Amino acid sequence: MSLQAAEIARAPAIRRGALVGLGLVAGPVLLLGWLIIYPIFDALWRSLTIAGPEGPQLSLDTYRFFFSDSYSLRNLWLTLWVTATVAALLLAVCLPISLYLRFAKTRLAAYVQGLAILPMFVPSVILAYALIRTIGPNGAVDLLLNAVGLPRITSPYLTPWGPIIGLVWDNIPITVLMLTAGLGVVSDNAVEAARDAGAGRIALLRHIILPQIGNAVLVALSFAVLGVFSAFTLPYVLGPASPEMMGPFMSRTFNDLNDPRMAITQAVITFIICAGFGAFYVRSVARGRARRT
Amino acid sequence: MRAARLDWVGIGFAIVLTAVIVFPLLVVGTWAFTEVWRYPSILPQEYGLRYWNATLSRVEVWESLFLSIRLASTVTLISAVICLPAAYAFARMEFPGRNILFLSFLSSYAFPKFGLLVAIAGIFLGLGLISTFWGVVLIQLVGTLMLMIWVPVAAFQAVDRRMEEAARDAGAGPLRVFWSITLPQAGPTIFAAVLLTWVSTFYETEGAWLIGAPQMRTMPVLMITYINNQIVVQYGAVLSVLLWVPSFLMLLFARRVIGSQSFARGFGV
Amino acid sequence: MDRRNFLAASAAAIAAIQMPRMAFAQDGTLYVYSGSDSNITDFWKNTIVPAFRRTGNETRIEVVDAGDSAGMRAMADRALAAMSSDADPQLDLMEAFDPRHPAGAIDQGLWVNFDELGLENAERINPDAIDSPYSMPYRGSQVLLAFDTSKLSPEDAPTTWDELTAWIEANPGEFIYNRPDKGGSGGNFVRRAIHEANGRDPSKFTLDNFTPEFAEESLAPAWELLAALGPNLYQNGTYTAGNTQSLQMLAQGVVTMIPVWSDQVLQAIREGVLPEDTGLVQLQDLALAGGFSRVTIPTNAAHRDTAIELANFLLSEEIQTAIIEELGGFPGVSWDHVADELQEKYRLLIPRSIPTFPGGEWDAAINDGWYRNVAPGTPRE
Repeated sequence: MSLQAAEIARAPAIRRGALVGLGLVAGPVLLLGWLIIYPIFDALWRSLTIAGPEGPQLSLDTYRFFFSDSYSLRNLWLTLWVTATVAALLLAVCLPISLYLRFAKTRLAAYVQGLAILPMFVPSVILAYALIRTIGPNGAVDLLLNAVGLPRITSPYLTPWGPIIGLVWDNIPITVLMLTAGLGVVSDNAVEAARDAGAGRIALLRHIILPQIGNAVLVALSFAVLGVFSAFTLPYVLGPASPEMMGPFMSRTFNDLNDPRMAITQAVITFIICAGFGAFYVRSVARGRARRT
Repeated sequence: MRAARLDWVGIGFAIVLTAVIVFPLLVVGTWAFTEVWRYPSILPQEYGLRYWNATLSRVEVWESLFLSIRLASTVTLISAVICLPAAYAFARMEFPGRNILFLSFLSSYAFPKFGLLVAIAGIFLGLGLISTFWGVVLIQLVGTLMLMIWVPVAAFQAVDRRMEEAARDAGAGPLRVFWSITLPQAGPTIFAAVLLTWVSTFYETEGAWLIGAPQMRTMPVLMITYINNQIVVQYGAVLSVLLWVPSFLMLLFARRVIGSQSFARGFGV
Repeated sequence: MDRRNFLAASAAAIAAIQMPRMAFAQDGTLYVYSGSDSNITDFWKNTIVPAFRRTGNETRIEVVDAGDSAGMRAMADRALAAMSSDADPQLDLMEAFDPRHPAGAIDQGLWVNFDELGLENAERINPDAIDSPYSMPYRGSQVLLAFDTSKLSPEDAPTTWDELTAWIEANPGEFIYNRPDKGGSGGNFVRRAIHEANGRDPSKFTLDNFTPEFAEESLAPAWELLAALGPNLYQNGTYTAGNTQSLQMLAQGVVTMIPVWSDQVLQAIREGVLPEDTGLVQLQDLALAGGFSRVTIPTNAAHRDTAIELANFLLSEEIQTAIIEELGGFPGVSWDHVADELQEKYRLLIPRSIPTFPGGEWDAAINDGWYRNVAPGTPRE
């Protein structure tokens, strides 16, 4: 049978499949539309219009201001820089842990896994406090160093490294969980076979393991990036007063400057950048589906 | 006999993670038992259980703990029921608007809530759900959508389709294929999603406060009021330690389910 | 038991389970929300509410700690949303919330106008404390400098702005104040710098004389003063996130001196967070700006009348005395309305007046100006 004929024969099945598919996603989609998308459009409308003499008028002045204001742009750059740094560090820290957890057979692995997931149970407020008391000025590390007569550490508290350390710490669990779960798909047999064929560790990682966990890496990083981008507590408490990350900046514009139009503008810009990143994952999913069908 | 060899890599990870993860928590833990601790003393000058008594004797602490557990369990259950089929559809089926709908779930996670408060509160006020259990369930449920769809989609995508086809060729029906081939392979990732959903719902504060106040006081909402405005940090430390110990024990047992293929084996694959 | 009886019995059981909840909703609780620090919510729970109930009002009152200003803001947003649907916002009184938020709330009639109420005790209010007809001041606090006496002896503590800046320059890294948008002790230090840059004349700034031009002209020299201090602050110009973080820096011996709220530092000493011998000093050439806390009542509150009665009660002699004696605060009423022996007793501890800085549009101008000009470290063109 030619390819075309197959397509034609499958058409009604696809249409029926489309209905089933839409039916299956309807619940979450409607919920989202009702409680998130509608409020977002409501907010967008308010940010894009100003009350004129003849009713609301379209205005892009807040967007123009944002992109011409060096202070706002500096905050955006800082956020991008922190996000990229956190994502790179997360991958560097979590991939080795996950590889170990995937292939380890000892009981120690349970302990390592338990520790790696524990930060999930530490809310940001507590973490901020714990870090101030540990690596902050005159914190526990300083106390120990002081006791043995060593000089104090240069504390990352109130520098951009404060929130970076906090955010990496905070995001270890989800990254390790996702990567480890993703690695579950890599079969022992494939690894053994490659090893028998003389593949080194690096080659094994590059050619056998990484191609299979691409989606897991993308989804793990998506969540980390989104979380970091809109993080509030850790950047506010641990970071410098200025430049601000977008989370505290938006919140200050909204709550303190009482300027909801500007705050929503900042939120929209932040969201578009996040959506751009999320689109990578969506595209990879779509590609995976296309390859397989 | 690889298992019999000393697990040097594991020992290395265990030491580093203990230092990085446990040490800060230990500092908080020590504060929970501290009455006075001032620089430059390595250990607190005065210990005591005063703050444990003060915290544990408050009825609201226990009420909010059980409320949070009930909320997180209800939300996770409903979320799994509506999101897992949707995730399967997103991963496997063709339908119009699929990619854009899939991407739109990002907004539940990435769009800051502050600008949406008035509109969301308006909806909940209209339904009479303010300060009720189901109101909080609904607002928190929306917050779980992205995690419960995006992560399981990754899982369904990773399933080896050749095995499914082989089973189908051997005469298994679609449900049977799903139950004995697809689900076991996707299992660890789905379990990870459920675990993450449960914990993040448990610690969610924004929605719980906006919709739940004043009568639905969840544990983290209580915690924030104990920590934010208190000069004394011990209340927050006590509450944290109270939650960490059972969490860590639970995680030790979760080892079998996450990642390793024993999950798949549990389903007889 | 037959089926019908069983059904009836189980229905009654379900009703019994639900009853406390419904009875609760009907009989009604008056909800007071506060975003203030815990010493204030404790004062409400332990002093104000019992005293109010002793006046014969039987309404159940619950004081809810909103955590921070964003928590308060969420409740105000909810009350605003409730206006269009006539629903009960479950919010009757807000402690320390600026009625200018959320934007448009005043225009839509969200807040009760105290000027139109003609409260019995309204004439007792200290006129300096009034900020808006939609809020009613009831207590004040002053900001002091707290210092570590093991590093700085009380005789050497600075008592004028010039001495303070000279001390900061001579002791780099030993002073920190918190960001002006959160918590206020740092914000009032910033306002003291604005007073300094404008001839130490607090009357120069009023609620009504705000214009962007005047703000630009009067604030710019203050930003220069503060930016010049920057390099000599902790870590060459860092600022803590709030009052409590500043207190922790002092408690851990990281810095020697911080600006603090008087009531909060007294509580910290009482609870052992700071040592007994923590030094406190006020500038003598012009005190650090203080601030008043006010209450705001939404017009759609279910217990609006009781809330108004409660607001009036806050200005009574009983509560004002408690504010001075128990809270270590500053009265919201004029000193003429404070008993003579009380005035005499606290003469040395509590000043006759505290310089204040108007709120309103000044707040946003000061906070944003500080973030843009002082926080980055180098003055911007």
